[in-house]
Order: sequence, then C-alpha cells, then structure tokens
Amino acid sequence: MNIFLHEIRAYGKSTFVWTVSLIALVLFFMSLFPSFAKDADQVNELLQTLPEALRKAVGIEIGHFTSILGFYSYVFMYISLCGAIQAMMIGASILSKEVREKTVDFLLTKPVSRTTIIVSKLSAAFVSIAITSLSFILCAYFIASYVKTETENFNEQAFFLLSFTLFFVQVMFLAIGVIASMLLPKLKSVLSLSLGVVFAFFFIGMFGSTVGEASVRYITPFKYFDSMYIIKNSQYEWSYVIVGLVWIIATFIASFYIYTKRDMNAV
Amino acid sequence: MNVIESNQLTKMYGKARGISNVSFSVKEGEIFGFIGPNGAGKSTTIRTLLALIYPTSGSATIFGKDCIKYAPEIKKEIGYLPSEVFYYENMKVIDLLKYSASFYKKDCTKRIHELAETLNLDVSKKIDDLSLGNKKKVGIVQGLLHEPKLIILDEPTSGLDPLMQQKFFELLREENKKGATILFSSHILSEVQKLCDRVAIIKEGEIVKVETMSALTENSYKKFRLEAVNHVTSEVFQLDGVTDIMVKEKTVSFIYKGNMNAIIRKIAEIPLQNLWVEEPTLEEIFMHYYEKEE
Repeated sequence: MNIFLHEIRAYGKSTFVWTVSLIALVLFFMSLFPSFAKDADQVNELLQTLPEALRKAVGIEIGHFTSILGFYSYVFMYISLCGAIQAMMIGASILSKEVREKTVDFLLTKPVSRTTIIVSKLSAAFVSIAITSLSFILCAYFIASYVKTETENFNEQAFFLLSFTLFFVQVMFLAIGVIASMLLPKLKSVLSLSLGVVFAFFFIGMFGSTVGEASVRYITPFKYFDSMYIIKNSQYEWSYVIVGLVWIIATFIASFYIYTKRDMNAV
Repeated sequence: MNVIESNQLTKMYGKARGISNVSFSVKEGEIFGFIGPNGAGKSTTIRTLLALIYPTSGSATIFGKDCIKYAPEIKKEIGYLPSEVFYYENMKVIDLLKYSASFYKKDCTKRIHELAETLNLDVSKKIDDLSLGNKKKVGIVQGLLHEPKLIILDEPTSGLDPLMQQKFFELLREENKKGATILFSSHILSEVQKLCDRVAIIKEGEIVKVETMSALTENSYKKFRLEAVNHVTSEVFQLDGVTDIMVKEKTVSFIYKGNMNAIIRKIAEIPLQNLWVEEPTLEEIFMHYYEKEE
C-alpha cells in the first residue's frame, strides 16, 4: 500500500495537469459547437467540397458533424490521442524510471516482493488514468448538456459509451507502455518513445479509414471503437472489446514475468 | 550460527565472468570484510545475496533461508548501503526516510532522529539540494533505521570526510555490539583492517583467501624505499622476507615481511639520505597471495 500511495503522489501533479488539459480542450471545442449548429447547412456544404479521402481520414461524416454527438465524436478523436499519450507515458515510465534514476536498489532491498512492487505500481498507474478519464467524462457531459441546442436532445447512453472508450484506449496504451519498457530495458527517453508510438498508431488508424481496410482496425487501439457505430447502435462491437481485453491481460502477464525474472544490474 | 552462507555462488553475464564458485560464510555477530580491487566481483556477490540479480548456479542462505526464494522475508532484517546512493530527488529527506521506514512493521521515528542527529543531517532539506556526503548520510540512516540484524555495506565510505567516516565506523561498532552482523565490502585495506574480524579476499570473480584479520596483520608486509648516499647493490639486502627488490642507482625499494629489528639493523649499516616505510597497496599484498597460491 505504501508503494501505491507513493506512486499516486509522484504522479499526482502530472495527472492533474493532464486532466485539466483534456477538459479545457473539450470545453474549447464544444464552445464552438453552437455556431456550427446555427449554420448547419453552410457547414455541410463546405465539408462537401473536401476530398472524400481526407474526410474519412479525419473522421468527418457529413450530416453528423452538425449534430452534437457527431461533433463531439470528432473532437473526441483528439481527446483520445492526448489520453493515449498520457497513459503510454505513465506505463513506459512507472517501472523504468527507478532504473533510470537509479532508485531501484532502494526499493528492491526493502522487504517486498517484486510482485508486490509491480502490482502496486500498475494499480497506481491504473488509478491515475481512471481519475483522468472519469473526471473528463463527467465534465464533458456537463459541457455537452450546456452547449446543446434547445431543439436537440442527445442520446445520453451513446454519449457515455463513446466517452468511456477514452478509458479503454488509455488502458491499452498503458499496457503498451509497460511492455515497451520491459522489452527495452535501456530506454532513455520515455517522452519520445511515447509520442512516436502513439502517433504511429494514430496515423495507422487514419490511413486505415482512408483505404477502408477493416483488418487495420485490429492493429491500432484508436480504431477499436467506431464512433458512428456507437452512436447508431448504442453499443460496442464486442469482438474488438474482447481482443482488446485479451491484449491487455496478456501484456500485463508478460510484464509480470519479465519484471520478476530480470537482473537489476549495478549502475 | 552462520548468518550468511554462500555455496558455490556463480553469476555469468552471457559468457562474461561475474563471479564463479564463491563460497564463504559469515558468523553471527561478526564483522566480515570483503576485499578486492574494483571489478573483482564484490558488488556482484552482494547484489546476488540481495536478490537484485539471480545466480547462474550455486546458492546462498541468509539467516538459514535461501536468499532468492525468501528474499522479501529475509530483507526485513537487512540494512543495505550501496556505494553510490540515489534517491527520489524531489522528496524531502524526512519523507524519504519515512517512506523507507514504512516498509518495516515498526515505529522507526525515534531512531531516525537519533541517527540524523549523530550524523549532523538536516532532515528538512530536499534530497536534490544535498551534497554527495550528505546524500551518503541519508543512505546510512536509511540503512540503519530499522535496526537490522544484518548490515550489508558495499564500499560505503566513498564521499564521507574522515571525521564522518570515523563517526560512521563508531555507529557500526555500536550496532555490532548490539548484536548486528556486518558484511563490509571495500577496496581500501586500512578501512577493513580498522573494522573487521575476518576478511575474504576476492579477485577476478573468485575468492582467493578467507583469513582472520589477526592472521593478515601478522603477515604484515611493509614497503621499504630508501635513498642511499652511495651506490648500492641488491646483494646487501639478501635477507629472509625481502621480495620484489628493485635497485636504481642510489634508490632501493622492496617489500619486507618478518622481524623489523633485523631489517632496521641492516639498513642502519648503509649511509642514508632518505627512508620511507609504507603500507603496501592492496595489489602488492595480493601479489604475494597469488605467488603463494601458484
């Protein structure tokens, strides 16, 4: 428990900054929505002039863009991107920073097992991300309720289902970060690795949407949840959820195994 | 009873040598020195005992329990101080010490303040702002605050000024009197001489010799260097116990082991300009051990 609290405190400031930034981002974009909605026809006409490939890549669907959920799902793509960076950074650093900052001797000569250490640390990472996701979802809901047009009521279930995918995407990137730090024990820069990996997956997703290749969706966590599908059906595509969960569990088990077997060499 | 028992402990890094077949035992209440040049395998042995790295073959027990399998349990009673100390830099000293204490199921507050006072350590400072010596003090407090039964020190004196070193040694002797067993690794012979009851000499990953301190000091080698007024020849020093003799015009140097009076009488026969009698370096002592072995 003491390791968990120590880590929560260590990541507290960064979690706070990320949470506030995500909320500020959604607040900024959603505050633009009323003006888009007012001139819906003109906006749709304008979007029509964009090449179809580009529209697909950035996730704009004509007709949806001027509804609150459609607009929100477009903004949400970039929220997921930011959330993924946060999660990947925590995941890649939470175990490896002890080695980089050479504090690993301190921790590992205490009367705790390596299993306890990794469980405490991953729980702390998990909770930090959960705090970010849940605070974001709540605030986004209030913002959306505030900016919606008087005539339009949005499907709240779809809204929450869509927003909750932030947490799922974050946990997936947390797992990617953790396994990356296990496979690259000499990792020097968490930031560049995280940005590189997250953007690579993001662009794979964009490319996949453009060519309309369904199998690409399994590669990048950003495409596990199709916002149009969620808005229309108010549910997830379960095959992706299952693949995602399996991937998360497998990565964590592999990381446990590597961490408990690894030699902690002197610096 | 043996607190540490190492049995053919071997660690290979791929094909590179770490340590091979290291066997020794440390008795309860003993101060055991572990001495060898840099890169000899002192840290590798200690890190294996602490389960920071895993042995390739062989095993070791601490308090009679396997040091890998029962690592978390054993470590309740171990205090460890590495040669280089690194702590969470943005923490205050007191917060770090409290974090450290939180791993042990006892109240260490009183002991923390006692130790900090003895070592003149300001616990309200940030670790970031501390000098190397002060960081080392944090390490000492951190290693002793739970009153461990076994204290493992890996070249602990680097960065401490002589005065602090003395205080630190006093602290260790006190702990030892209270019943703590100490494993002390160092590459400085005089340090080990001051403190230890027995020593293991390690070189190139293997234990060369385990000897009591008294036996080691009986074999007290001295390094002589003298500058004569006239030219001298090496024949003058044909005496039992003289080795490694080197003559260069008027200066002579050799290593001597044996009766001091005999050699002093010999030297007195020569008109001298200058004379040095020094402790031989560890390497020079080792050379003698290796010659004996071969």
